[in-house]
Amino acid sequence: MNLLTLVTFLPLAGALALVLVPRDEPGQHRALTLGFSLLTFVLSLGLWFGFDASASAPEFQFEQRLPWIQSLGIGYHVGLDGVALLLVMLTTALTPIVILSAWRAVEERVKEFMIALLVLETAMIGTFAALDLVLFYVFWELILVPMYLLIGIWGSQNRLYATVKFFIYTFTASVLMLLAIIYIYFHDGGTFDYVQARQALQVTPDHARWLFLAFAVAFAVKVPMFPLHTWLPDAHTEAPTAGSVILAGVLLKMGTFGFFRYALPLFPEAALQYRNVIAVLAVIGILYGALMSLVQTDMKRLVAYSSVSHLGFVMLGLVALSAEGLTGSVYQMLNHGVSTGALFLLVGMLYERRHTRLIAEYGGIAKQVPWIATAFVIVMLSSVGLPGTNGFVGEFLILSGTWLSRLGSAPVFATLGALGVILGAVYMLILVERVFFGAMRNPANRALPDLSVREGFVLVPMLVLIVVMGILPGPFLAPAKPAVDRLIGRFQQAEARLGIGPQVGTVTPSVAVRAGAQLPAPTLPIVLPTGGAH
Amino acid sequence: MNGFPTNDFVALLPIAILTVGALAVLLSEVFLVSGRRGYQAAITVVFAVAAGAAAIARPYSGYVFNRQAVVDDFSAFVTVVVCAGLALSALVGAGWLRARNAERGEFYGLALFGTAGMALLGMATDLLVAFIAIEVMSLATYSLAAYLRRGKRPSEAAFKYLVLGAISSALFLYGSALLYGASGSTLFGELAKGRGSPLSLAGLSLVAAGIAFKIAAVPFHAWTPDVYEGAPTPVTAFMAAGVKAAAFALLARIFLSAEAGTAAQATAFSGVISGLAVLTMIFGNLLAVPQRSVKRMLAYSSVAHAGYLLVGVLSASVAGVREKALAGLLFYLAVYAATAIGAFTVVGALERRSRLDDEPADAWDLERFAGLARRRPGLAFAMAVFLLSLAGIPPTAGFIGKLYIFQAAIGAQLYGLAILGVLTSAMGIYYYLRVVVYMYMRPAAGEAEPLSSAATSVALAAAVAVVVVLGLVADPVIRLAQAAGAILL
Repeated sequence: MNLLTLVTFLPLAGALALVLVPRDEPGQHRALTLGFSLLTFVLSLGLWFGFDASASAPEFQFEQRLPWIQSLGIGYHVGLDGVALLLVMLTTALTPIVILSAWRAVEERVKEFMIALLVLETAMIGTFAALDLVLFYVFWELILVPMYLLIGIWGSQNRLYATVKFFIYTFTASVLMLLAIIYIYFHDGGTFDYVQARQALQVTPDHARWLFLAFAVAFAVKVPMFPLHTWLPDAHTEAPTAGSVILAGVLLKMGTFGFFRYALPLFPEAALQYRNVIAVLAVIGILYGALMSLVQTDMKRLVAYSSVSHLGFVMLGLVALSAEGLTGSVYQMLNHGVSTGALFLLVGMLYERRHTRLIAEYGGIAKQVPWIATAFVIVMLSSVGLPGTNGFVGEFLILSGTWLSRLGSAPVFATLGALGVILGAVYMLILVERVFFGAMRNPANRALPDLSVREGFVLVPMLVLIVVMGILPGPFLAPAKPAVDRLIGRFQQAEARLGIGPQVGTVTPSVAVRAGAQLPAPTLPIVLPTGGAH
Repeated sequence: MNGFPTNDFVALLPIAILTVGALAVLLSEVFLVSGRRGYQAAITVVFAVAAGAAAIARPYSGYVFNRQAVVDDFSAFVTVVVCAGLALSALVGAGWLRARNAERGEFYGLALFGTAGMALLGMATDLLVAFIAIEVMSLATYSLAAYLRRGKRPSEAAFKYLVLGAISSALFLYGSALLYGASGSTLFGELAKGRGSPLSLAGLSLVAAGIAFKIAAVPFHAWTPDVYEGAPTPVTAFMAAGVKAAAFALLARIFLSAEAGTAAQATAFSGVISGLAVLTMIFGNLLAVPQRSVKRMLAYSSVAHAGYLLVGVLSASVAGVREKALAGLLFYLAVYAATAIGAFTVVGALERRSRLDDEPADAWDLERFAGLARRRPGLAFAMAVFLLSLAGIPPTAGFIGKLYIFQAAIGAQLYGLAILGVLTSAMGIYYYLRVVVYMYMRPAAGEAEPLSSAATSVALAAAVAVVVVLGLVADPVIRLAQAAGAILL
C-alpha cells in the first residue's frame, strides 16, 4: 500500500467508521475522530522523513498510478513534490489541533461535524497529492461540500448567506478551469495526467493565455486575490472556529499552490505576460487588506482581512519568479497556516467565553487571562513578522526576492509590500492593545477563565512551530528547494523558446550584496540568515 | 424466399416482454381476489428486468422491418435505461399509491405500455415507426398524468399535456411529410439526400420541434413545470427518466442522419439545434432560480439538463468525436434517469397523503424540507446526493456525466456552448443548494412524518447506489456506453 494513498484516504475511512457509531455518543465520535487524525499525522511523518530533498531525487515521490476511468483518460495518479509535502504536513498537523479545539465548542450534531472534518481532510490532502488533472479537480471541488456544511450548520447568525456565497463564488470560478483541463486533454495527446500533459502540451500562445486565465481565476478566488476576495470575510466570520482555521490554514493555500503547481508551470509564457497584472493585484491586496483590517470592529473579520493582506505577499513572491521570492512564498504559506490558524483559535477561545467577537466588548483582559494574552502576543508577533518568528523569514524572503527580481519596477512593488508590513504591525498592535490591555471596563470580563489544559494542548504546538520555524527555517525550506529550482528552470526554458532576455531569477548578485542582505548566490535560497541575526 | 420474418420479431423481444407484462398486470386486476396489490409492482419489476435482460442478450442485431428499425448497442442501452427507469418508478409508485389507497393495475399496465413505446423509439430508424412509438409512449404518459384525479391540478396537468402533446405530434408528422417530399423516403438513412434544401430544413426543424416538446427544450418547455408538478409524483419521475431518454435517442439518430460530417459542413439544422441548446441552458436554469416549489424547480432543472444533453447531440455530428459524444449522451441519460427518479421520490415522500381533496398550494414547498436532516437523516442524505449530482459536483455520477458531455463538446470545438454549459450549471448550484440549506441548516417545521415504505426505500437505495457508484467507478458503464456509441442509422 502506498503511504501517500494511505494518508490521503485514512481520514475518509475514519468518516465511514463514524457512520457506524450511534448518534447519541458524541464522546466516541470526538475520540475516534481525534484518533484517526492523529494516526494520519503520525503516518504523514513517514512522508516527511522519507522525502528525499536532494536535487537528484525524482521530482514526485511516493508516486502511485492506478487506472481509474481509463476510457476517459483519467487515472489515479498521486505523488508529492516538496511544496506539496509541506502543505500535506500542514494539513495533517492542523486537523487534530482543530478537532481538539472543537471539543467543547461543538455540542450539536457532533457526528456530522466530525464526519465533515474528516472528509475535508481527505479532500485537502488529495488536492495536494493529485497528479492527474481530473483527480485534482475532483478533490478541489469535493472540499466545497464539507466546508459548505461546516459554515452553514455550525456557523454564526449570518451563516446561510456566507456559505451559499462561498460555494457559488468558488464553484463558478472553478468550472472554467474544468473546461481548460478538458482542452488540455485534447492538446497533449489525450491524457489528463499532469506530468505527461506538462511535457506534451501543444497550444498556440493565444490559447495558452486563455487557459492560463481560466486556471488563474479559479485559483485567484481561492487565494483570494483582490478583487475576488469578497466571499472571504463573510465565510471566515460566520464559520465556526474549526472552519475558520481550516479555511485560513489550508484552503487558501490551495489557491497559491494551484498557481505554483498548475498555472505557472503549465503556461510559463502566458504567466510571464500576466505577472505584472498579478503583482499589481497582489500589492493592492496587501494594502487593501491591511487598511480594511485597521477599521474592523469584529475580531474575526479583522483576521480575515489580514489574510487577504498576507496572501497578497505570497502572490507577490510567486510572480517575482526569483528563487528567494518563490521560496519565501512557500514558506509564507506555511506561516500563514500556523499563525493565522492560531489567531482564529485564540479568537475562538475568547468567543467561547464571551460569545462575542466585537473588539469593543473586551479590553484589559490580560490580567484576567494572562496565558491567553501571552499566546496571543506571540502569535501576533509572528503575524507581523517580528524577527525570531516564522513570519519574519517568509516576509523577508518575499520582499528581498521581489526587490531583486526581474519583475518590471520590482523595487516599487517591494516598497509597497513593505508598507503593508508596517500597516500589518499597526492593526495587529491596535487589536492586542484594545483587547488585552488598558483598563477593564466591561464587568462581563471579570470572570473570564484562563486557558484550560485542553486549550493548552491546542496552542502549544502552534507556538512551538512559530518559534522553531523562525529560528531554524532550514528543514522547512529544504524540501521546497528542488521544486522551486525546477519551476525556475521551466521558466528559463520558456525564455529560450520565446527568445527574450532573462525574465526570471534575480538581477546580478552584486546588487544583492549592495542591498545589504547577506544573500548567497541567487540559485541557493536555502541558507538564509536566521531571524535572530537581524 | 422471404418467408416469415422471424428475425424482425425476435428483435422486438424486449418490447414484446413489456407488452405481455402490461397485459398480465391488467389481467391480474380481473382475477383479483383480495384488495392487496403488492404483487403488481413486483410483476412490473420482473417484466422490466426481463425486458432489460432481453435487450442485453440481444438474440438478433441489425436492421429489421426493411430498415425501418434497428437493433444495435445504442438501442439496447436505451432499452436498459428505460426499463431500469420503469422498475424504479414502479417501486416508487407502489409505496406512494398504497399510502393513498390508489394502487391499481392500470398504473403499472400503462407504465409498461409506455416503456414499450420508449424502447421502440430507441430502435426507430424510420419517421413513421418513430411516430408510432412516440404515440404509444405519449398516450400512456397522458393517461398516467391523469391517473389520480384529485382536485383540479392533475386534471389540468393531464389536459395541458394532452393538448400540447397533440400539437407536437402534429408538428412531427408535418415535418415528416416535408422530409418525405425532400428525400423521397421516410427512412433516416435517406434523410441526407435532401440535405441543404429549404424543404429538408423546414421538415427537420418541424420534426425537431416535435421532439423538443418531448425533451422539454426551450421554447417548447411551457408545459413542463405544470405537468411535472400536477402529475402524481411517481409519474413525474417516470416521465423525467424515460420520456427524456427515449426522445433523446430519437433526436440523436435523426440529427446524425441529417448532419453527418465535420463541423464545417454543418447545415442550418445544426444552427437550429444549437439555438435550442443555448436557450434551454439559459432559461432552464434562470427559471429554476425563483421557484419555491421543489417539484417545480426539479421540472425546470429537467429543462436545463435537456440543454446539456443537446450539447452532447450537437457534438456527435463532428466526425471523430461522434462515439465519445454519443457515449456521453447515453451515460448522462442513464445517470439523469436515476438521479431524477431519486429526487422525485424524496419529493413524493414528503407530500401530504390520505386526503383525497386537492393538494394544498404549498404541497411541494421548500418549507417541507426544513430540518429533514434531523427528522429523517437517510432521506435527507439521499436527496443531498441527488442534488449534488444534478449540480454536477464530484464525486457524484452527475459530475462524470457533465465532464463527459463537455469533453465531447470541446473535442468538437464547440467552445461557446461548453462555456455557456458550465457557467449555467454553476447557476444551478444556487437552487440545488437551497434545498440542502433547508434540509440541513433550518430548524424542522414540525410537519407530518414523511412516508416510509419498503418499496420506496429500495428504489431510493438503488438510485443512491447508481449515483455514488457511477461517480466513483464509472469505467464499466462508460465502456458499455462507448460500445453503444457505434450507432447504426
